[in-house]
Amino acid sequence: MTDKNGFFDLSKSTLSRRTVLKGLAAGAGLAMAPGFVRYSQAQSSAPIKIGFQSHRTGIGAAYGRWYEKTSAAAVKAINDAGGISGRPVELVIEDDGTDPARGAEVVAKFAKQHKTDIVFGTLFSHVVIGSAPAAGENKIPYFVVSEGHHVASTKLNRYVFQPGITDVKSQIQSMAPWIAANAGKKVTQIFPDFAFGYDHRDYLPPALKAQGADVIAQIAIPPTESSFTKYFPQIPAETEVIYHVMVGPAVLTFVKELGEFYGSNRPQLFGFMDSLEATDINSPGLEFLDGSHFWEGSPRYAQADDSAAQKAYRAAVGIDDNGAAVGDPKDVSTASHMFGCWETLYVVKKAMEDAGYKGPEDRAKLVEATEALTEFAEGPEHPQGAKTFNGKIHQCFGIQNISKVEGGKLKVVHKTKIEDGLYEAEGDYTTQAL
Amino acid sequence: MDSSSSFAVECRRLPLALLLAAIISPTPAFAHASDRGHVLLLPTGYYLIGGAFAVAVSFLVLALLPADRLDRFWRRRLPLFSFNDGARTIVSLSSFAGFAILIAAGLLGSRDPLSNPLPLVIWTLLWAVVTLLQGMFGDLWSWLNPWYGPWRLLSRLIGMSEEASTRLPRWLGCWPAVALFFAFAWFELVDPAPDDPARLAVAAGLYWLFTFAAMLMFGYGRWSRSGEFLGIFLSMLARFALAGRDEAGRLGLCWPGAKLLAAEPLPPSGIAFLLLALSSVSFDGLSKTFFWLALFGINPLEFPGRTAVIGSGTSGLVVTFLLLAGVFLFAVWLGQLLAGSDQPLSRAAGLLVWSIVPIALAYHVAHYLTALLVDGQYALAALSDPFALGWNLFGTADMQVEAGIVAGADSAWWLWNVQAGVIILGHVLAVLVAHGFAWRLHPQPSRAALSQFPLTLLMIAYTVFGLWLLATPTVG
Repeated sequence: MTDKNGFFDLSKSTLSRRTVLKGLAAGAGLAMAPGFVRYSQAQSSAPIKIGFQSHRTGIGAAYGRWYEKTSAAAVKAINDAGGISGRPVELVIEDDGTDPARGAEVVAKFAKQHKTDIVFGTLFSHVVIGSAPAAGENKIPYFVVSEGHHVASTKLNRYVFQPGITDVKSQIQSMAPWIAANAGKKVTQIFPDFAFGYDHRDYLPPALKAQGADVIAQIAIPPTESSFTKYFPQIPAETEVIYHVMVGPAVLTFVKELGEFYGSNRPQLFGFMDSLEATDINSPGLEFLDGSHFWEGSPRYAQADDSAAQKAYRAAVGIDDNGAAVGDPKDVSTASHMFGCWETLYVVKKAMEDAGYKGPEDRAKLVEATEALTEFAEGPEHPQGAKTFNGKIHQCFGIQNISKVEGGKLKVVHKTKIEDGLYEAEGDYTTQAL
Repeated sequence: MDSSSSFAVECRRLPLALLLAAIISPTPAFAHASDRGHVLLLPTGYYLIGGAFAVAVSFLVLALLPADRLDRFWRRRLPLFSFNDGARTIVSLSSFAGFAILIAAGLLGSRDPLSNPLPLVIWTLLWAVVTLLQGMFGDLWSWLNPWYGPWRLLSRLIGMSEEASTRLPRWLGCWPAVALFFAFAWFELVDPAPDDPARLAVAAGLYWLFTFAAMLMFGYGRWSRSGEFLGIFLSMLARFALAGRDEAGRLGLCWPGAKLLAAEPLPPSGIAFLLLALSSVSFDGLSKTFFWLALFGINPLEFPGRTAVIGSGTSGLVVTFLLLAGVFLFAVWLGQLLAGSDQPLSRAAGLLVWSIVPIALAYHVAHYLTALLVDGQYALAALSDPFALGWNLFGTADMQVEAGIVAGADSAWWLWNVQAGVIILGHVLAVLVAHGFAWRLHPQPSRAALSQFPLTLLMIAYTVFGLWLLATPTVG
């Protein structure tokens, strides 16, 4: 139900979250079993079935829970406003255990058993990379919300899209102008010694160079490390900015020990919110971050100048002004990433309606219609901000937020331009056969 | 020993790991700065030292106390009231009906393991909650299990005698239960998807059928003592409870572990069973530590998923058991040697292994506490709508699951303290139980104390190990 401003008014809705997820029932798949009178997809009232590949268990479960909440809220909003081409949308959840091998099984299951129209919602990059071949083999469009550069690298296949969240290469690149102009010109990077850290290791130096700044040291920390003091003497004394992207349970220890190392006289600190997603910024040990800056995909804390669309999105998903679950203030959301689920589902809606999508037989048309998209305006469907879409590399580009830790909250102090994050395309999916 | 419900292992072909991940280089991943991060900031080292100290001191205090006075005190019992077994069949039949509905829900209901009641009931309400209740209030499972009622009904209907015609050989002991418990632990800890509702429904359903057939063939009582691992495990824990019924059916309150004093030595299969129960929970904790994953070159921040660690998980489960069994038997043997005892090792080990019960119970509570607090809420919600049809049977279907209950530094602090307290208490009680048995084996106090020395060292080491498991960085 939308109000006169076009925003979602949940108070007028009778659909509960569970109604949205009703399609979870496995029994629905039985209707598609051989010998059963086929439930025609072409029937105008038949629901659009979206296979939600969810990290319900495993290492990604904290993200998975918020991806589920956001996706359910988006589907509810879409249904309340008439669904996709007048058809209701159903989410069919399969847990992938945050496991690449299971991820591939789940995608195949959506295609063959549940016969969903698309697959959607994967976050962890190794699961996306593990599952993408199954999407290609089954020729089922696969809309991921992963932030990885793997989609845009064009090393996956034509069925994989990332239209709702920017990729890490673009994010890192668009941080460089602000860092060079505001934080300092001599940057030391501290990152975990595996693929996630390597993105930052590889993409930041050229981007900073272009802004007249330099990475003067790169310190890779072994992923199993739980004490960091011994690495800090490697930070050059002339460092003006420490760029840190540590992840995992030892992040709090890292910050605490960095604080003990520097005391009150520290260089500027710049981090990525990936380090502290779903973690209270006011946790003991994080005091040292006060006054430091972070990349945020979408702001965790409500901002004074939030758009009406942003407010409506937050209310629909159920996050309070501190970015925690309404009614459960300790349950901190994954705000920097989960908005991508909401926006991706609206891209799917737009592409399906553009394609005149009727059912699985139109999947190729859906791929082409998605590739034909070029931009998404800021608004209820894209509350994080305006985006452009490059159909050749299946990746969107958008604004990024730079937030300052101030008074125990994150305050957005700068929003990048879309152009800050653009880069040369590395390939072209549209040349691949469908 | 009465018993009941569970699962069998469903060995499936394993999906091939996808190699593409290795080919495409930049692969961001998001390891969540989880609540273990808050624990890493706590002074857990002091707890490890304090825990070891508490267990050592309790050994010394017990060694100085006159054993007979302690024994008299421990055997005190507060009788409450009597009741007969009249309702047992109907309770078990209701439990069976509930189980059947859950299996149907697993097969036909939601595919989401946090919305389908089957995985939540089995892994949270049964494996975590019932185990805890059993360890506190006695053998509830002998009434609640989903086999007794159907077995009794069927054997009456077909006029079958309660003693089955086919006899299990005596030497078999409870080895079938050891094998089945291993299969169960493997399914829980190593199988790629034990939470998958349909997969779990098949496993649990097959186990019910298998057990029911075995009960019809070998007799309910015999199979409950030999093969039904869940009932055997739970009845062992019930020996530790604060309440229990005597032979006359009278319920009474007693000190924890008092019922263990009357226990007979366990046969080798029983020793193996208890040690496996403890080692499997310990391995569950161990297998998630950065330490363990580093041994296999696995990056915990980009954990490749359960399908990638089936080999190390399977061997780890076996090796942990063999290590614990080896160290335990060595400690008992050495104790006997120090005390100059001529008792056979099997009798000493069979008695002293009962001291593992409070440790196993403590681990269970500490290990599943956080899962219980969150998944317990999901279970309540799921039970109201078992088939994902929009029902709201108990008015809990739309309840908000508060995941924040275990999140943040404050929760981490009190969870850690509860867990550490439970672990230390479990080991202190284990020392107490072992002391009671040592006195039975060696009536001379100095010999009894001497015989306990190696086992106490093991308990101290296990206390430190248990606390370390809860304090060290882990995946997820």
